[in-house]
Amino acid sequence: MKERYSRQILFKPIGEKGQERLASSHVVIIGCGALGTTTSEMLVRAGVGKLTIADRDYVDMSNLQRQQLFTEQDALEGTPKVIAAKRHLEKIREDVNIETVLDHVDGPLLEQLVIDADLIIDATDNFETRLLINDVAWKHGIPWIYGACVQSTGVVFPFVPGKTACFRCLLPVLPSVSQTCDTAGIIAPAAQMVASYQCAEALKWLTGNEEALRTKLLHFDIWNNSFVEAGISRIKNPACPTCSHQPTYPTLTKQEGANYAVLCGRDTVQVIPDSERKMTIFDGEIVARRLGLTYRLTDFFIEFHIDDYRCILFQNGRMLIHGLKEISEGRKLYHQLFG
Amino acid sequence: MIKVIYFAVAREMVGKGEETLKVENLTVKQLLEWIGSSYPAFDQTGMQVAINEEYAMLDDTVKAGDVCAIIPPVSGG
Repeated sequence: MKERYSRQILFKPIGEKGQERLASSHVVIIGCGALGTTTSEMLVRAGVGKLTIADRDYVDMSNLQRQQLFTEQDALEGTPKVIAAKRHLEKIREDVNIETVLDHVDGPLLEQLVIDADLIIDATDNFETRLLINDVAWKHGIPWIYGACVQSTGVVFPFVPGKTACFRCLLPVLPSVSQTCDTAGIIAPAAQMVASYQCAEALKWLTGNEEALRTKLLHFDIWNNSFVEAGISRIKNPACPTCSHQPTYPTLTKQEGANYAVLCGRDTVQVIPDSERKMTIFDGEIVARRLGLTYRLTDFFIEFHIDDYRCILFQNGRMLIHGLKEISEGRKLYHQLFG
Repeated sequence: MIKVIYFAVAREMVGKGEETLKVENLTVKQLLEWIGSSYPAFDQTGMQVAINEEYAMLDDTVKAGDVCAIIPPVSGG
């Protein structure tokens, strides 16, 4: 143990005490793309005791350029990202405890995942999930580390309930259009840089070095060689539904019925059936057979093609329809298939 | 005079990383409007402005010597 972490223990702000604290820490990572794979690998190597990694997607060839835990084999097999990540992380460190969640993260699920968590790392690719993380973090008093990147730029900030303004104060109105990795591209160094900054903040918090945390958002551009820092005290909203004295945590109110969402610039509509409706892979197989569609079954999902669309139905009933941009079209196709 | 830094996609939209403007005592909202009218490709939707390394509100005033950064929201990951 000592040998393995000797270089990190030599680093004075961490030392043996800090190392012990890491071993008993639990970090929840939401998203397992570029930020999620790099932060999880770094935290596993640093000796964090337990990681929970949640992601709703599977490995694709276009991920390999920057999502460094994954291999061609993972992409060819379409392995769910969290499953592939766990497999590789356990090869890096045998005694790590990794919990994987192959699902769309909503309020009830996230509240359950963070029960004994020390920290949440944002490795998502959308603002909606960040607002959800923000609400859960404030409700449960757990810090979260915002990280995002696109093109050659990135941003990082540790949000600490009770200390800083919150993400909702920073972004009271969600931008209707923002650049994403899938529409504007991304270079790996920008993503790795964000992940590194996030892990540095994580190590500070987990080893009891709170005073070293960043106090301003860092925005950097690794291509144009510039950075900008900006504090958020001035924009703290005294009536914020998340961080004021009378919070309502808007993202945590339960939704009824099936949930449809367009995934981040990917021409993909995600359908989550109503909680009363129990759909499984086998329902997908029945429908695919009935319609005479060719399909492929894996341990985690069934894949079939209908018209120009590619559908992936996961074991818990969640479905991804690739080749669609509009929720209305997704709803129509879903009803065509499953009524 | 104020200094304006255009960050990330804002830089792409105006075609430069920074510039000095011979204006002062205008609101953040007015500054964004000025940029919008000077650079047709500039879309101020979602853009945030930091004055001297602190995020500012739309009705805050930009004074002589201030450094303003125009920062777009970032959601990728």
